Amino acid sequence: MAKNLPVVPTAKAGSLMETPTGITWRLQYPVISETCNMCLDCTLFCPDGAIDRKNRKLVLNLSLCKGCGICANECKENAIQMIPEYSGVRGVFG
Amino acid sequence: MSTILLTGSDAAAYGAKLARIEVIAYYPITPAFPAMERISKFIDDGELNTRFVRVECDHSALAAALGASLAGSRTFTVTNSQGLLYMTEVVYHTAGLRQPVVMAVANRALSAPHSRFPEQGDAISQGASGWIQLFCENNQEVLDNMLQAFKIAETVRLPVMVNYEGYIQSHTLEEVEIPNQEKIDQFLPLNRVRTLDVENPQGVNTVASPEFYMDYKFNQNQAMEQAKTVIKSVATDYGKEFGRDWSGLIEAYQMEDAEHVFVAMGSMISDARIVVDELRKQGQKVGLIKVRAWRPFPAEALREALKKVQLITVCDKNIVHGLGGALGTELKAALYGQAVRINSYILGLGGRNVSTEEIKKVLELSEKTAKQTTASEWFGL
Amino acid sequence: MAQSIADLPKEDLFGQGNAGCGGCGAAVAGRQAMKALGSRTIMTIPASCMATLGGSNLKTTWQIPFYHTLFEIAPAVSSGIRAALEVQGIEDVNVVSWAGDAGTADIGFQSLSGAAERNEHMIHVCYDNEMYMNTGGQTGSQTPMYAITSNMTKGKQGKKKNMLTIMEAHGIDYVASASIAYPLDLIAKFKKAAAKLGFSYIHILAPCHRGWQVPPEKTIEFARLAVESGLFELFEVDEGKRTRTLEPTFIPVEEYLLPQGRFKGLTQEAIQGIQASLNKHYGRGE
Repeated sequence: MAKNLPVVPTAKAGSLMETPTGITWRLQYPVISETCNMCLDCTLFCPDGAIDRKNRKLVLNLSLCKGCGICANECKENAIQMIPEYSGVRGVFG
Repeated sequence: MSTILLTGSDAAAYGAKLARIEVIAYYPITPAFPAMERISKFIDDGELNTRFVRVECDHSALAAALGASLAGSRTFTVTNSQGLLYMTEVVYHTAGLRQPVVMAVANRALSAPHSRFPEQGDAISQGASGWIQLFCENNQEVLDNMLQAFKIAETVRLPVMVNYEGYIQSHTLEEVEIPNQEKIDQFLPLNRVRTLDVENPQGVNTVASPEFYMDYKFNQNQAMEQAKTVIKSVATDYGKEFGRDWSGLIEAYQMEDAEHVFVAMGSMISDARIVVDELRKQGQKVGLIKVRAWRPFPAEALREALKKVQLITVCDKNIVHGLGGALGTELKAALYGQAVRINSYILGLGGRNVSTEEIKKVLELSEKTAKQTTASEWFGL
Repeated sequence: MAQSIADLPKEDLFGQGNAGCGGCGAAVAGRQAMKALGSRTIMTIPASCMATLGGSNLKTTWQIPFYHTLFEIAPAVSSGIRAALEVQGIEDVNVVSWAGDAGTADIGFQSLSGAAERNEHMIHVCYDNEMYMNTGGQTGSQTPMYAITSNMTKGKQGKKKNMLTIMEAHGIDYVASASIAYPLDLIAKFKKAAAKLGFSYIHILAPCHRGWQVPPEKTIEFARLAVESGLFELFEVDEGKRTRTLEPTFIPVEEYLLPQGRFKGLTQEAIQGIQASLNKHYGRGE
């Protein structure tokens, strides 16, 4: 039998956060160091809203991060480093 | 209630007015535009509290109506032929989004060659779209069907096309009784469903994967099936209040002991009634089936009404190229297995006249035709 | 531009969990814009990457009402939505159509022009990655001359159609260009647009690293270089009054163009030609 679906094809607001897309594609992730001066630029340059400010510090939500590296590239203080997810033996396509 | 002379265009406009539509968008096209202008006059005269979106094309007309519907307003538009084809993309989209938009179509032939004359072809082209389609036989029915259409649409959550022929109906004056507004308000109360609502946000029409699309389509088609019952019940309710029900899916006329039955849709029906009465006086056992709802296709109702008949003459003012007349081929499919002679005729394309004379001649020709050689034969060339 | 980033609302009404590529410029634009627009916003998005990354099946990243429309109808749909809101007496709601370059300048141009001519109370946003990315990266009217795309591998011969001038010619309330590299400027412009009673048009340069053939981490960098070279001017036309909102530093255009894979066919002659016409446009002499 057909699935029980809403009458109008609709999706629940914000529901994609439960199963974020693309985090399994991530090859590298950012680490924010102490030299961060809280300019907050990265919070507006991140395409995925993975960097948030909480209590005068930056908090990275890895479950939303795709590892694009924009934050590290844009940081004027060089406070963000991209660390590879996997640094072991690489195969043919490495 | 008052009875005045109205064209079919005006009747559609009065229907929209009585339904208290909140938003209208339209783009002028012949012969649908008088209905649009009449509604604009109602608005300009302060008789209708409706926002008019003066769009730049037919495609945007249905798009704007759809947007308004999603935001919870009762909407309406009017078009025909080329405009209807131009907005076909939005037609299918509106049905898939299950929005109760009502559209009046002043049926006209399709280009090419370029014709401005009446024919059912434009409505037929939208047969697969998921819209409910009603065909009107006269201007009174245009008004009544408009109101029933809103009720049907808002009950099953599917859009409805109200078809009447260009010029023959859209531009011809007939007596029309205009129902009382308060009674219409009771029949058709405000039924607001907001899909786009800042108080209740949701995403509409996200990309659907194969895992989901077919189920949505099944559910949509179930609503179409449900419409068969709803069209009948809305007709009954309307009939109780306003004295005219227009019979629901089909109407059986002089069918009690009919042996030869004429089946058709639209303006041909009013002429066919005259012919049937005349032939009955001459002792012929002729009957008439008016197909009022073409979508959903009333297969069960037709099988029931035609089960004892020996000869059926079905007439189409349309051509589905490579197949035959739409009603003719669909009727044959519905009656498959029944031992009955069905002669399907295509006539009146591009506005070629179909009057009582032509109907009489078709019936005579059909009597003499034991078996047609093609799916539909062309009459009147 | 009174605000600092710390003054902006923290909540993300769009973007978290989105299905875009890592480093997607469109997603950045969406996130920045929503900081200005707020939750009383209805968003219509025609077929585009933005519509697709917004969600699929029963899931969406949008926290506001969002509707994925047919390709060419977003401004018409928005007009209908505004009409419904007005007749129902619902106020203080932004109605926004957010389209790519195709949905704005090409297939969507007719309904955009119609809505602008009617000066509808709405905002149309073009997020411009200068090619038809959602179908693989074909050439459109917003593709610059010489750019290589998936269906014009020798580079486009014609110019980029000037949408900002065209929209200014409609005489609408507000026209603005924006770049995702200048978020506070972008946000200020959205706030101005939201306050207008008529039609606003905002054209955002939102690079697509895949189409432009640059590394994903440089998406913002190229949005900045385009502005600093002067090739993408940041300005606004507010009720007919034109103001440049950022003075470019005028880095040589080749610093912006050559590192992009899509401009690998650029000759020195072509670069000089571009630089010369740019200088002329800014009145900086030959």
